[in-house]
Amino acid sequence: MNELSRGQKGKIADLGAGDVVEIAVDLALRSGQSIDVSCFGLDEAGRLSDDQYFIFYNQKKSPEGAIEMQGARHSARESFKVNLSRLPGKIVRLVFSATIDGGGTMSDLAASHVGLVLNGTVAARYTFTGADFGGEKALMTFEIYLKDVWRYAAVGQGFNGGLSSLLKHFGGSEIAPKGPSPAAPPPTPAPAAVPPPKVNLGKITLDKKGQKGVVNLDKRGISEQSMHVNLNWDNPNAGKKTGFLGLGGSAPPPDLDLGCMFRMADGTMGVIQPLGESFGSRHSSPHIYLDKDDRTGASTDGENLYILRPDLIDNVMIFAMVYAGTANFANVNARLTLKNGPQEIFIPLNSPNPKLTFCAICVIQKVGNTVEITKEEHYVTDHGAADKKYGFGFRWVAGQK
Amino acid sequence: MAVSLTKGGNVSLSKEAPGLKKILVGLGWDARASDGGDFDLDASAFMCNAGGKVRDDSDFIYYNHLKSQDGSIEHTGDNKTGAGEGDDEAIKMELDKIPAEVQKVVICVTIHEAASRKQNFGMVSNAFVRVVNQDGGKELARFDLSEEASIETAMIFAEVYRNGTEWKFKAIGQGFNDGLGPLARSMGVNI
Repeated sequence: MNELSRGQKGKIADLGAGDVVEIAVDLALRSGQSIDVSCFGLDEAGRLSDDQYFIFYNQKKSPEGAIEMQGARHSARESFKVNLSRLPGKIVRLVFSATIDGGGTMSDLAASHVGLVLNGTVAARYTFTGADFGGEKALMTFEIYLKDVWRYAAVGQGFNGGLSSLLKHFGGSEIAPKGPSPAAPPPTPAPAAVPPPKVNLGKITLDKKGQKGVVNLDKRGISEQSMHVNLNWDNPNAGKKTGFLGLGGSAPPPDLDLGCMFRMADGTMGVIQPLGESFGSRHSSPHIYLDKDDRTGASTDGENLYILRPDLIDNVMIFAMVYAGTANFANVNARLTLKNGPQEIFIPLNSPNPKLTFCAICVIQKVGNTVEITKEEHYVTDHGAADKKYGFGFRWVAGQK
Repeated sequence: MAVSLTKGGNVSLSKEAPGLKKILVGLGWDARASDGGDFDLDASAFMCNAGGKVRDDSDFIYYNHLKSQDGSIEHTGDNKTGAGEGDDEAIKMELDKIPAEVQKVVICVTIHEAASRKQNFGMVSNAFVRVVNQDGGKELARFDLSEEASIETAMIFAEVYRNGTEWKFKAIGQGFNDGLGPLARSMGVNI
């Protein structure tokens, strides 16, 4: 196994054959605090022009699966699997980076390493410690890149400004052309510099049941924490007429209800939903409320629920129910979007059960300083059945709108 | 067509450019984008006698002594960061003006304070050294320091040497571990 020093470069083929390379990244701070590790897939200009190639804890796989985070492997806390032959041609450089969120800098690194693994063995390894660094809070540890052939580099360079400086380094901004073009008689003003492409760090889709999204509440002011939950759906009956010969008038549009069952950290429990007009409360516990009762799905807004103090919750189960109209989930394309600041978690109800009218869409749980959202998409007959599964323990009586 | 030099490559360009008279050796690199000490690369030239050593200290052309006594060799000045496009430092040579006792000129590239800054060529983006035939402006050879000399901190890049009445160019690409001071001393300069 080759021991690499910082700055060292070479050809991957000189280390071994194969299209599949694993990069095993093992970093930790002496304090034990963890470090986020990610992979930036860059184009020829060294830019992250497609943020689907920013591989990190909320987006563990590139669209075609050529880059994948696989967790701890090869004596490292995190590892990436890269299939070089499946990478799209536009991605020519993969930079494996680490960022510290919170206190500390890379000078606090304990013994760390990045291994290049071919065919299951570590072919080369770059070892380093905090002594190699100063005030950096973001570090480009290692990269593999295509320059005639695929090559590797032990980089070991970073930015004091942390993740935002790292993103800027990979985004850059277009430089406005200097002065007027020679052909134009009157000088044309230089166009304004284009801002760097925004990397949407937190827009993810929970496709399958059990998939999770995480919202970090750390370092945010209370006012920045609120979560906006939106349920929207399509009206499959729009424009359709019912009855014999279509003379029966338009079919009523489907009416879906958004609601939640909640338990706060202090033990308070309740249900928020349009049925029984339990719209919740904004300024007092639980600081969860429903915005309006959209009975048609025609509104582009759908229905909205706000969790203003996610830091105070223990467990919230978000549900949707179907009422009048074409009363089943299979043809309304219902979808839930949770927004928290720039982060967005999209949950499509993509395996609907046409026979059941109550769907527990997701569970939101407070875990330490984060909020975990797990897709459930669990269909049951009614509230009581859902409560039984999710363990709230309410008493249910019939209601109507 | 420019010859791409690789590590250990030893190329004679006499066929490429017979009758070399005026050449430019260009050194270029990207300014550091990450945080940390600037990358300060330096080009230097040693005018050597038949014994392979300088005649005296004034035969050492570098950032603190930009022009040879006879005016045959001139350094364009010290670039301490790599800022700017193209060649960041250059050494121009008018071979006809080189005195008879000088049999060869050795061209070197070093990283300033490499040891204390803990830097090597691999850490520098797009570092290259190239040779241009100034009669006509054709680039004769180019060496990618970042790729081919990644763990080196100093390098003997090439020699331009007398061959009868002509001058020839030979690429060497040999790494040197200790920096410009020891390199110059090995060439007979009193440092």
